[in-house]
Formats: sequence, C-alpha cells, structure tokens
Amino acid sequence: MICYEPNLHVLPEGSDSASRMALAAKKLGYSGIIITNHVNSSGPPFGLEAAGLVAGIEVAVGTEIVASDQRSLHARASSLRDRVDFLAVHGGDEKINRAACEDPNVDLLAHPHQGRSGIGVAGARAARDNQVAIALDLSLMIRLRGAARVRWMEAVRRDLGLVEKFDLDLMITTGARSHLDLRSPRDLVAMAGLLGLERDRSTEALALPKTILDLNRRRWTSVGVELL
Amino acid sequence: MRSWLPVLRDRRRYIAFELEAEDQVKGGDLMAEIRAAQTSLFGDLGAAKNRLRMISFDGRFGLLRCRHTRTEECRVLLASVSSAGGARAAIRVRGISGSIKAATEKYIPQSILQPDENKRRVDLGPVSGSVVRVRGREIDLFPDDRKMTEGSGTRYVGLTSFDLCGEDIDADGTSDGL
Repeated sequence: MICYEPNLHVLPEGSDSASRMALAAKKLGYSGIIITNHVNSSGPPFGLEAAGLVAGIEVAVGTEIVASDQRSLHARASSLRDRVDFLAVHGGDEKINRAACEDPNVDLLAHPHQGRSGIGVAGARAARDNQVAIALDLSLMIRLRGAARVRWMEAVRRDLGLVEKFDLDLMITTGARSHLDLRSPRDLVAMAGLLGLERDRSTEALALPKTILDLNRRRWTSVGVELL
Repeated sequence: MRSWLPVLRDRRRYIAFELEAEDQVKGGDLMAEIRAAQTSLFGDLGAAKNRLRMISFDGRFGLLRCRHTRTEECRVLLASVSSAGGARAAIRVRGISGSIKAATEKYIPQSILQPDENKRRVDLGPVSGSVVRVRGREIDLFPDDRKMTEGSGTRYVGLTSFDLCGEDIDADGTSDGL
C-alpha cells in the first residue's frame, strides 16, 4: 500500500528536523512525505540533505502558500509553481478556501476546516474543475475536545458529503509539526472511517499525493506535450 | 471470580502499543488520558460497550484489552491521545492479537535499549542545545532557544544522526557522531 503524508512542517516551523520526520514516518509505514513549510517561515527547512539519507522513504519538498487575499494567492501560486514539486494553500478562511479551489496551479487546499467554514458548494464545484485536492486534516480531531471538536466534525461531515457528490480529490494528513503529531496510515484510515469515509476511499486518498508528485515532476512544454 | 457461561463470554482482543513521550509517564496517568479520550469521543455508552482495560505497561510498551468487534474504535481513540501526564506523547499501535501470550511474543520486544543519560551538546548553526535522549538514530534535543518549539507545543527538538554527521554509522546503529 502506498501512503504519503502531504502536509508536514519541519524546523524552523515545527520542532523536528526533516530527517527525524522522515525516520518517524518510515517507522509508521509511510512510503513518502512531503515537507510543506509556509512561504513566510523564518528560514529554509532544516536538514533536507540528511533526510535524503534515510533509506526506504521518499522526501519531497513543497510549500504552503499563506495569502491574505485572493489576488496575492493567485500571484504567489503562479510564481511558485515551477519552483516546487507540490503546492499547498494555507486554508481556513472562507475567501482563501474559495480562491484556492479556483486556482488550477494549486495542488492541495490544506486544513480548510480550521476556521468554521468549509469549502462550500461553489468551492467544491471549482475544485472539481481545477483538480484541486481537499485535505482532510485530522490534527484537530486529535487536539480538540468537546464542543470545539463537535463543530469541527460537523463541518467535516458536511464537506465529506460534497467530496462524495462532486467526486473531489481527497488527501488525508495530520499537518504534523513534530514526530509526536504523526499517526500511522492505519490510524488515519480508522479515524476517517469514524467520520464517515469508506475504507477504499481513504486508501485512495493516502496514495494520491504520490500521483500528484509524479505528475508535477514531469516537464510539460505546453498542454499535452511533455519534454522527455 | 464467578465463572461465566462459555457461550456468553466476551471475545477479546489485546492491543500491544508503544508510547512515545517526552517524559516518563505512569500507567495510571496514561490510562486516565485514554479513558478521557474514549468518553470524549464515544460517550459513556460507547465506553461501556468497549470494556477497555489496561493489562500491562512498563513505561514504553503496554497491552490493552478490548472487545473483539471494537478494535478500529480503539485505534481511533489511541490515536487521539496527544499528551499524557503533562508531557507531549503519542501512542503507536504495534499489533492486535487474540491472547496475551501471542500479543506479547509477537509485538513487544524483549530487550529494550536504555535511554541515554549523559548530557552532550549539539551545535549546528541554526540548531543548538543539549541532548536529552538517544534511541537508535533518533535524538531528542533540548534547544537553547525555547522559541524553536513554540509552534508545535513540544519541549524537545527531534533530530537524527543523519543531521549530525551524515554517515559513519557503526554496526550497532548507536554511534551518532556527537
């Protein structure tokens, strides 16, 4: 089973070096991780070369765009597109969620349920047309308790219905900032199952980042023409 | 104890788990945390149906008992534990089995490397601090700059031996170039 963790933050944003993250992920059974530090973090990810030495796991580098409005999001996405293998957007705000869904340069809308808003019907439709994947970020299920988690679960359940209806791409992640935040793929499947996601769909979602990475790494000269 | 009719007896599963924590955690604290996670997620009714018990816990490896139909539920509630006894922690399920003997033999290793006690320093440009614990290639570091771990709520910075020297790992996998 191919499992990728698409949204990790390492030093200086998280508290682990890239290689520690890779080692922990490998022990948990992942076949690859994607490190997506925010664009406005205080320095480059720490220990990327060392992470390459960890055998048996692929370490890809992407980035997570933080934007305050739609225009700067689109501008950043198009300027970063050719420089990184994987482009995520720091979601949570209703406007940003919508703008990310409307941008074909974006690969993943990360934690869209961090605020109270989800993606909504219009966003879901746009995400389908632009092939933007929606992240099911389970970190809040782990961290929150009580009423806050109930609200989060309500939003997620509603949006999982939209994902089903529009057949959107889904990725499951923990958004980890430390190896203690990581969870094994089987745990994630069980948690997603509790939220109403079928098993096949979860395994598909765990394998999706690899497909997207492979697509992004091919070099296209124009639409449908690949440079070999 | 009063014996129960064999046909009516609960079927059980034993979950072998490993605790990763930043500090020493007592079994009682851990179980309290697991119970809190369980009632928070499934309520009293769901918790009563599961009949979760802790069989053993030695500080790192432990064994839990649950109903045989509710193992997935247990995975979720163990995954939703993020701290225990005031320290950041994570529970890794190592395997599930039908008897204590099988679970212990299959999933709980008998010889455990002791945590490293002597304090050593690491200085790597942006990252510096003193080593708290070394386990195989994993190194936990107490950073000089406390701001470094602010975002994730942890106390230590996690590194590996790859960060320190890059290569030259001895055959026993414990030499780390510190």
